[in-house]
Amino acid sequence: MPEPGDPAVSPGSGDGSVVVDLRGIRKEFPGAVACDGANLTVRAGTIHALLGENGAGKTSLVNVLGGVYLPDAGEIWVHGEQRQFHSPADAIAAGIGMVHQEFRLVPSLTVFENVVLGSAPRYLDMGQIVERVAHLAATYSLQTDPSRPVWQLSVGERQRVEILKALWRDADVMVLDEPTAVLTPAEAADLGLTLRSMADRGRSVIYISHKLDEVLAVCDEATVLRNGVTVAQPRSLAGIDRSDLAEMMVGEAAAQIQRPTDQPSGDIVLDLEGISAMSDRGLPALHSVDIDIRAGEIVGVAGVSGNGQRELAEAIAGLRPTTAGAMRLAGTDVTGTSPRARSRAGLAYVPEDRLGVGLAPTMSVVDNAVVRSYRSMRRRMMLDLRRCEDFCRRLIERFGVQVGRVHDSVGVLSGGNLQRLLLGRELTGEPKVLLAAQPTRGLDVVGIAAIQEQIVAQRAAGVGVLLISEDLDELLALSDRLVVMYEGRIAARLDPRTTTRAEVGAAMAGGGGT
Amino acid sequence: MTDPMPEPTHAPLHTVSRGRARWHRGLIRPVLQRRSDVVPAAQAIAFVIGIAVALVAGALLLLAAGNDPAQVYGRMLDSSLGGINSISRTLLRATPLALAGLAVAVAGSMGLWNIGAEGQMMAGATVAAGLAMTAGDLPGPVLIVLMIGAGAVGGVVLMAGPALARAYLGVSEIITTLMLVEVSIRVVEWLETGPWKDPESQGFALIEPLPDQASLPGLFGRAHIGVLIAIALLAAFWLAVSRTAWGYELRMAGSSPATARYAGISLQRKVLTALVLSGALAGLAGAVELTGTATRLDPGLSNGYGFAGIIVAALALMRPSGVAAVAFVFGAVQVGGQSIQTLGVTSSIATILQAMILIGALVAAVLLNYRVRWVRPVGHDAEATGV
Repeated sequence: MPEPGDPAVSPGSGDGSVVVDLRGIRKEFPGAVACDGANLTVRAGTIHALLGENGAGKTSLVNVLGGVYLPDAGEIWVHGEQRQFHSPADAIAAGIGMVHQEFRLVPSLTVFENVVLGSAPRYLDMGQIVERVAHLAATYSLQTDPSRPVWQLSVGERQRVEILKALWRDADVMVLDEPTAVLTPAEAADLGLTLRSMADRGRSVIYISHKLDEVLAVCDEATVLRNGVTVAQPRSLAGIDRSDLAEMMVGEAAAQIQRPTDQPSGDIVLDLEGISAMSDRGLPALHSVDIDIRAGEIVGVAGVSGNGQRELAEAIAGLRPTTAGAMRLAGTDVTGTSPRARSRAGLAYVPEDRLGVGLAPTMSVVDNAVVRSYRSMRRRMMLDLRRCEDFCRRLIERFGVQVGRVHDSVGVLSGGNLQRLLLGRELTGEPKVLLAAQPTRGLDVVGIAAIQEQIVAQRAAGVGVLLISEDLDELLALSDRLVVMYEGRIAARLDPRTTTRAEVGAAMAGGGGT
Repeated sequence: MTDPMPEPTHAPLHTVSRGRARWHRGLIRPVLQRRSDVVPAAQAIAFVIGIAVALVAGALLLLAAGNDPAQVYGRMLDSSLGGINSISRTLLRATPLALAGLAVAVAGSMGLWNIGAEGQMMAGATVAAGLAMTAGDLPGPVLIVLMIGAGAVGGVVLMAGPALARAYLGVSEIITTLMLVEVSIRVVEWLETGPWKDPESQGFALIEPLPDQASLPGLFGRAHIGVLIAIALLAAFWLAVSRTAWGYELRMAGSSPATARYAGISLQRKVLTALVLSGALAGLAGAVELTGTATRLDPGLSNGYGFAGIIVAALALMRPSGVAAVAFVFGAVQVGGQSIQTLGVTSSIATILQAMILIGALVAAVLLNYRVRWVRPVGHDAEATGV
């Protein structure tokens, strides 16, 4: 770690003046507050990390800066002038360049056509434009062939085209939303060099990432968001290490429901042996993961998001094919079986995306309540609607779900009620194993308590629980055992009774554990 | 990983191009916002309001063209809805519209677009006509039932390729179904001049006429019992979608594919069944049109009903009850539009009038999903008033 004042971490040739200043930004969506009191101050010639958990409001905040969203409150200052962006075009005109997670390129056009699209000089001199694009690319070591069509390019090259697009429009603030999520390590290293050369020329970069190592290697300053609020703005990352950042992101302990202290001693109900799987992009995301869970035991999975937790949950649920390993559920081998077979074998699954995967947003509360059980509610070819409704009403009552009418679409429910409905539905089949991914994320205090109580109650009822969470306090309080994931591997196996937040934080950052 | 924040669709949908931001400074401006609380009853009201607005605009057009709007609208109403004969003419038009609309809606309820119902109608009519030629001595009721079944088969044949390609290769059904429209019409043209040419047509390109008994019984006036077939099929589809496990799976797969997968529903099979059923219904529509209105197969038989069915299904929000209502209104507009030409309204004005009424209804249906907010551009205190 470099010492403070080390030239390697000091801002580049920019004069350090404030380029972007977001003050007290609030952005509310139907049913969710994305940002409330978010601040972001970016200086010229620096690479500025924007950190936070999933749902902390990072993407919403930069979308406010990029003119994609109109903020409900707060001020946007760019180069010392208060601005109002009604559209991305306004933001681009003010020098804000966005590189989104999903690229916005025309596949059939060439690199330079994409770069100049919408901002080409009135009279096109192709040769000259290609030359200027090539020159720009060379200046910032963005290796591309300007005359190749975009559909032929790799993901990393496409990203370079997006950056070129912003540079062409003379962006002096470049916003990159998780740029390395799609890159190979070598491409990520190149990107780091490109960004540094921009900072050296006085431009500023806002860099959203979950990868703390990368942030420490690439960035000069940081802003940490938690639940839509800016909680820390270190002006220098010198002397800050990974676990410090992890702790800033995760936050302080709050009042917490605790599991009982008894030792679980039931049979093993879920046994994963050497499970490996690919990410959506076809890159290895899980490497030979071993986990076993006893009846009446809660095993917590910690980790900075994006380290294989999502893939692990989907692999266990049968939604993502495994490339190696075996899985036994309550004594039956379920390796390679369908989601339905696993559900029948006793798996209850609360997915990370409760709306969109767990629940169908536009369908009614009843329709969503019977997702697991509608097959048993048939009378000849017809669905017995009365039985479906009765089932739904019992569910609502038992788990305290507050709904207007059961035929309303489920999308109008609050986050807490959605999760009660989803968890309740999954628990009605008397499962052997409960797989809960981020079950309390984004919920209010009451909702969190209700869900955690249910999880502890399942433990008492002899269900084996795999709890994947980014809330360290939740994991420490509820888990009988804790595993920490880092880059698709189990980086540490810890005892929640004896471990410390710092130890978990170090393991989450890839520092290894005991 | 993405932040699980709502999609940008929730963001204000800007009504005007916003190239010059400075121009807007200090002005209150309207912003469209999506609303989630639209009820079907409101949809029906919006539909009526949209048509009314279009009629007012149409009146101005008629005045400009030197016609008397009251007289023209009176004739439109009278010819399409005034009396049993007029209604029968409307139903005659509404029947193929409803069947084609249903075909599109079946695919649409899964989020798929069968743009080629027009072609499947032709394919269905062709197979039905071929059957009538080879089994022309069967008694009428038997022949008609077989022909309608053959129509469904014809529709499925044309849809098989696009359906398989969509389910297993992810090839857009929009393109494939559309391209096959042209193919099916050309096939009929070829049959007309070649293998199925009527030897007694004296050089005209005409296909052999259908046997006399291959004609759908009339219902009243000009309407034939195809009306009843359409109503029965709409009811059956409504029942299947809202009351069966099959329909539940279809709705789930259509509205939230990830949830369907999670529930163990095979998306591929659902895509396949929805598209095949859609093709079968369109083919059946072709056979009904053939047996109901034509004396012989000809390349103009589908008459744009298959394409109009897309508008019908979209306006009906893919709901069977909506399809019936929209097809009836659509049929009435067509009949009315034709009748006013006898009042000296030129055919182009009549077509514009029809188009305006449909656009009015369409715009109303879409706008209902939004609410207008008036935003004062002072940034942090963007005050909004609902309308």
